[in-house]
Parts: sequence; C-alpha cells; structure tokens
Amino acid sequence: MRVALFVTCLVDQLFPQVGEAAVAVLRRAGVEVTFPRGQTCCGQVAFNAGFWPEARPLARRLLRTFAAAEVVVAPGGSCVTMVRQYYPLLLREDPQAATAARALGRKTYELSQFLVDVLGCEDLGARFPYHVTYHPSCHALRGLGVRDQPLRLLRRVRDLHYCPLPEAEECCGFGGLFAVKFADLSAALLDAKVRAIEASGAEVVTAVEISCLAHIGGALRRRGSSIRALHLAEVLAAS
Amino acid sequence: MSAHPPPARIDFAANATRALADAALQQALSRCLSTFRRLRQEVVDEVADWEALRQRAQQIKMHTLAHLDTYLEQLEAQVTAAGGVVHWARDGREAAQTIAALVARTSGRTVVKSKSMTAEEVELNAALEATGCEVLETDLGEYVQRLAGEPPAHIIVPAVHRSRGAIARLLAERIPLPPQADAEQITRAVRRHLRQRFLSAQVGLSGVNFAVAETGTIVLVENEGNARMVTTLPRVHIALMGIDKVIPRLADLAVFLTLLPRSATGQRATSYVSLITGPRRPGEVDGPEELHLVIMDNGRSEIHADQELRESLACIRCGACLNVCPVFARSGGHAYASPYSGPIGAVLTPLLRGLDVAGDLPFASSLCGACAEVCPVKIDLPRLLVALRARVVARRGAPLLERLFVRAWTGAMAHPARLAVAGPLARWVHRLLLRRRLPLPYPLSAWTATRDLPLPPAAAFRQRWRG
Amino acid sequence: MTAREAILRGRDPIALFAHRASAAGAEVVEVTTQTWPADLLGSLRRRGVRTVALWDDPLLEPLRAALATDGVRVLTAAQQEASRLAEADAGVTTADWAVAETGSLVLACSPGRPRGTSLLPPLHVAVLPAGRIVSTLAELLARAAPVPSALTLVCGPSRTADIELTPVRGVHGPTAVWVYLLR
Repeated sequence: MRVALFVTCLVDQLFPQVGEAAVAVLRRAGVEVTFPRGQTCCGQVAFNAGFWPEARPLARRLLRTFAAAEVVVAPGGSCVTMVRQYYPLLLREDPQAATAARALGRKTYELSQFLVDVLGCEDLGARFPYHVTYHPSCHALRGLGVRDQPLRLLRRVRDLHYCPLPEAEECCGFGGLFAVKFADLSAALLDAKVRAIEASGAEVVTAVEISCLAHIGGALRRRGSSIRALHLAEVLAAS
Repeated sequence: MSAHPPPARIDFAANATRALADAALQQALSRCLSTFRRLRQEVVDEVADWEALRQRAQQIKMHTLAHLDTYLEQLEAQVTAAGGVVHWARDGREAAQTIAALVARTSGRTVVKSKSMTAEEVELNAALEATGCEVLETDLGEYVQRLAGEPPAHIIVPAVHRSRGAIARLLAERIPLPPQADAEQITRAVRRHLRQRFLSAQVGLSGVNFAVAETGTIVLVENEGNARMVTTLPRVHIALMGIDKVIPRLADLAVFLTLLPRSATGQRATSYVSLITGPRRPGEVDGPEELHLVIMDNGRSEIHADQELRESLACIRCGACLNVCPVFARSGGHAYASPYSGPIGAVLTPLLRGLDVAGDLPFASSLCGACAEVCPVKIDLPRLLVALRARVVARRGAPLLERLFVRAWTGAMAHPARLAVAGPLARWVHRLLLRRRLPLPYPLSAWTATRDLPLPPAAAFRQRWRG
Repeated sequence: MTAREAILRGRDPIALFAHRASAAGAEVVEVTTQTWPADLLGSLRRRGVRTVALWDDPLLEPLRAALATDGVRVLTAAQQEASRLAEADAGVTTADWAVAETGSLVLACSPGRPRGTSLLPPLHVAVLPAGRIVSTLAELLARAAPVPSALTLVCGPSRTADIELTPVRGVHGPTAVWVYLLR
C-alpha cells in the first residue's frame, strides 16, 4: 500500500521531527510513504476564525494535491476533521469541489486510526520505558471517533507504563485563535488539563494532535515541570 | 425613530475574565456541572438505544420545522376545539400586550408565574410590570433571582452561583427565616409564603415545553410543582410558547420525555409532567376556567427561513450542552448576557439579537464538540458556531491584528513556493526574537502569556524530506 | 419495537416500577386487595392525619368507609376547593396507569378526580392496581387518547435542588408520596 503523507502545516514548519516519526512508523507498518510537495495548509485556522473566502483557495490546493493519492494519512485529527466534515460545507457553492472534498474525506485518515482500523496493526515494535499518559484531542475524539486506537497502540509499546488521565475528555483549551481571543479562558482550561496530567503520575504526555501538545507542553515548560509532551508518532517510533 | 441608544455589544471575553476572578462562582459552577454530568451519564447509559432515540428526536424536530405552518395551524385548531384560546404574537411587545390585556380583564393584578425561557427572552416580567401587573416567579431559584434583581444564571439551576447563606440573607428581607437556615428551612419558608399567593392569584402564567398539534395539548415538565399550581389554581391560565415548541403527535412525547429529563437533570422522569388539554371541563372541580395559549415568533421565522441555521430551532432547552461545555464551566451563564447561554446560547443569542450585539459569542468556543455529543436532538453546534463566525467576519470584519495574521498566514500558504520563502524567514525571525528575549508579534504575544514556545527548527519537514 | 422496549418489556414491569418509583423517592407498599384499606388507615393514623381528601372512585370505597368509622374527616371531590384542600393532611387518589421505565404514576383528571388532590396536601397516596402498570412511555401514550383536560405524570414527591444542589423534598407539592400497589 502506498500512503500519501499529509504532514499538516504546523508539523511541517515547527515540528518536523513529528512528521519524520510518522513516516518511520508507517514504514515499520509496511507501507510505502510519499510526500506530495504541493501541500501547504488545510485552511482550518482561517476557517475556524470565520475567514471562509481566505480558507477556500487553501482547501482547493489540498484537494488538487491529494486527488490522485490512494490513501492519505495525517499525524493529526483536526486537519482530517477539516477535510472530512468541513470541506463539503466550505466548498458547497462549488458542487464539483464539494464532491472532490467528499472523495478526499473518504480516503483520509488520522495516523492511529489508519494503523489500527485500516492496517489492523497495533504492535510497531516500539520500546519506550516511561510512564505515559494520553490526552484525547477533541477533534480526533469526537470528530473522527479516535477513542481507543491510540491506547491500543500504546499498550503494545514495550516497557511503557500507561497512566490514566483524570477527566481525560476535557478540552485542553487550545481551539486555534480561541487561545488568543479568549486568552484567560484558554489558560483556565489549560491549567486544569496540566494539573490532571501532573496528577496522573506520568513522565510523558502524548496525543495525536500537535497543536494541543504545543499548548500543553508550553504550559508544562512554563511551570518548570519535567513532564514532556510528545506526539504519539514519536512514542511509537522510539526504540 | 427610537429614543433608545443601540444595545451594547456583549463583551464575552471581559465578562468571562470577571467570572474567572470570582472564586465562589468557579467553585459553585464546578460542583454543579460535575454533578449534572455524572447524573446524566448514569441514566443515559441505562438506555440501550439512546442513540436511536436522539436520531428519532432529531427527525421529528426537523420534520416539524419543515412543515411548521401545518402543525401550528393544527395546534391552533385543536387548542380551540378543546376550549382554549390561541393568540399570536409577532414579538415580545405583542405578547406582553396580549397578556396584560388578559390580566386586566380579571379582578386581580398578581400573576403567579412558573419558569419560562421564552418569557425571559423577551423580558416579559418587566413589560408586564410596566402595565401595573405584579409578576411573581414561583420556581425557587427564579424567585431568588428575581429578589436579587438578576436574570437566571443557568437554565435548570437559576441561582447556581449563590451560596445558601447568600440566598438566606436575600430572602430574610421578605420572609421570616431562622438565622443560619439550611436548604430545607429556606424551602419550607418559601413554600408557606408562596402558597398563600397561589391561592389568591387570578392569573397563572407558564411556559410550554412541548405543544402537541394532534391533540392541542400543552406539556410542562418540572420538579417543584409550581407549574402545576400555576396551571391548576388561578382562574385564568396563560401559556407562552415560541413557534418552535410544537410537535406533531402525542406519541412523539415518548421520545422527548425520555430524552429531556435525563439530559437536563439526570432524572429518569421529573417529579411532574403535566399534559394540559383545554381549560376545566364541565363538572370538574378544579383547573382554570380559561386557557390562553400565546404563540410567539420573535425572530424565529427568520431563523426558520435560514436553511443553514434552522437546526437551532430544534433545541428543547435541556441545558445538557451548558453542563458539558468547558467554556460555560468557567464563564457561567451571565457572561452571555442572555437567558440562553452555553453553546446553544452562543448560537441563539446572535440570531435573536443580531450579530452586532452578540457577534462575539460564536467565537467563545474551543469547538471541542462536547455539546454536540450530548445534545438530545443532535444539533450540530460546532457547525452552527463556525457558520455564524463566517457571517460575523463577513458583516463586521475582525480585529485588525487578527485580519493581518490570517491574511499573512493564508498568503504564505497559498503556494509551496511562497511557503519555501516565508516559512524559513518566519522561523528565523522567531528564533532571533526568542534568543534575544524580545517581544513576539501577534498572535504569539498572547500565546506566551501563559505558555513557553520551543525554539523553531532550522529546517521544515519539507526541506528535510528525502523521499 | 425498539431494542429498548424489548428489553424493558422483558423485565417484570411491576418490579421495575416499584424499583424506579422508590428510587425517585416514592414509598412503594405492596398490599393485597383485602387488607390494603386497614393497612393504609394504620399508616395514616401513625402520621396523625385528621383530614383526608379522596377521589370519587369505587376503588377507594373501602377506605372511605374505614376512615369514617375511625373518625377521620373526609373531603369528597365536590368539597375539594383549593383553600380546603390546602388544609387537608393527605390526598388519596387512584392511578389510571403507571409507567415502569420511569416509575411514574399517571393521573387523569375528570369530574370526581380533581387535580389538586395529588398536589396541595403534604402527603399524596396513590392506590395502584398492579395490572395498570405499563412498561414504557410509548405504551402509555398509545392508551392516553382521548386526552383528559389534565393528565399528570407523578414521579416521587415535589422536589428542588435550587439551593447549592442540596436535594429538598416538598417545595410546592407533596413532601411524601406513598404508592399502595395492589397485587
């Protein structure tokens, strides 16, 4: 199987090591990975902020870039949600584009979902000797139904000790520009999330969403915490 | 020309910041919401086909909205056939006029009232009192809020933000209460006080949870028994409903009466559900002699005509979306400056009061989707919120910095060639600023108030990719 | 039939009703058709009840007779104007139906069956023949037409949690609900 990597813009520009970990994991799972260079950003930031005319050209670009791909996999749930749920809405006045969006949505997966649901592959041979907790990111959880796939993958990682996260399904308070427009609210949500992570006893918090992780990791660092925030792909690529 | 100044824009961010600083409010909210969440989950889990019921409820609501005229006409005919009188009101002003005229025909001026969100929406109490009526809220929490001169803070628990001591102090001005009265003593005192008023009032005013077109039945769902008092004792019962409250058949109630109490308070059933069909019949010893149903539009027809947002009229006012919303859990209800708060309030308030007044509200969400997951009629709240955001930006624009940021972002992302220049440049500037500890530009300036940023990498994934 | 209805029908509706009505704060007493008037009279006496409002219902005749012999004042339906009803110590009704899945009593208003009997006195007693229990709300509503002027579903006592979420029984309606379940 040949997978086109939809690396997502934040991973591409700010967290390339996460993209590389995702590639390593996919290769370990036995698939060939390509990186279509036409991709940029799915447009979610602009779309969620209400700038739909600005988001449309980015959506069209992504549709063109991945039109020929067999399967598209992204190390993130919210960008996949954007494609699957919101592209048809964003592009509804252009029926051809909306149809293309639905077609792309059907073949686009979040990484853990692809590994577990499509490939049926849970053991990637990883070894990660740490206490790890998992934060289920909202878009992956409720938008895509990514609930136990990451946990099943973590369960197969050697020497990993899983620590359940209290109030796990509470939002971390990122929400794109929400974190900036309603900074106090976002900080309050984040504070509760970070306390829960600290209470879990974990040394590492992982998630499938780099934006949540940057948000959570930034707060952990600010508090001088030794807990690290790592993408699930990074945990799965460890050996 | 109106002499009133234009209504003030609701500044949700400022309101929320104030709420966050109120430690007592934060504690009360957190206790209340975690209790409601737990209770709801317990009784939802025991219903094996909960998802199928939600789907059915959504179908019924959307079907009703698609044939709203037909069902409203049928409702009018059936209420009339049962001996009731139907009045139509375009807005709150007309509703208040109609109700005031009905009160004026009686020998009393006191109106005993049970909880109605629709009445809150149009500030009916103030309008009626301006005509010389006395409106007495009889739901315990509403009664407290009225004494405090404050609107309800939560759909289900109006005085959620007040401590027992604060409530007792407030009530002691009106009702004899022992010092340090507990919840039970306070409730007893209010019962005694209001019982007398119930017995003497000429007019009872209620809301409507559901109105069944097939039979002309008004359905009221409650725990305290005050709605039963309001609809049983006074000579005249007036019920106020929005046009969105009609449902086609009696059988449909089985779906809604299963969903509503479980979603709202985590109960299998509330203490009372009253199905009222017309006034007292010949030979009956109690019940009102007159039943009036006021069917109010107040902007709902406009929402109804809007295919993209029509779904918001399916709401049954259970409050489940409030109880799971992480934003509501911190901001509380008053931050929304509207009786409709939480995720559904962030949709309904802008629709009812305009984007200029309430345009900030749809942005007050992290779009986490917890609301849509619990909504008993499956309203896709995140979709409604983003759709409203697009309208707000199209209508009144966005703050300058935000506009510049989005333009810069989408401009840089427009083509890989542009990104190849803009990306490394932005990372270089970013690294420089971080290393020199210089202030970062928007939106990172706001971000770093509470979070650190890692040093950006020298090269992007696309630069490092070697296929 | 939905899966839910199938499951609820599969359970014994009488047991389910008793369980769920109790969970909602009603006191469910299983009695026989022979002894219930004496049982209820005993309980009312222990509570110090002196005035009882009754629905005009043949089912309640044995109770009416027992109360009269015992010197308890009885208000017939015709005597139940609100101000007198508010002074009564207990209101005794039958129930037209009951719903097992919610533990609710269903009271249909008619000339001999006032709405206030189950609302104004501090104690509401409902006499319920077990055969009137249906499993689900859907079954109830299928039987409810033609609808009376007032059909009331009662699930436990009147209650509130408006003060710091502290549950309190008896706000505007009864503080206690007794269900005399006739088997």
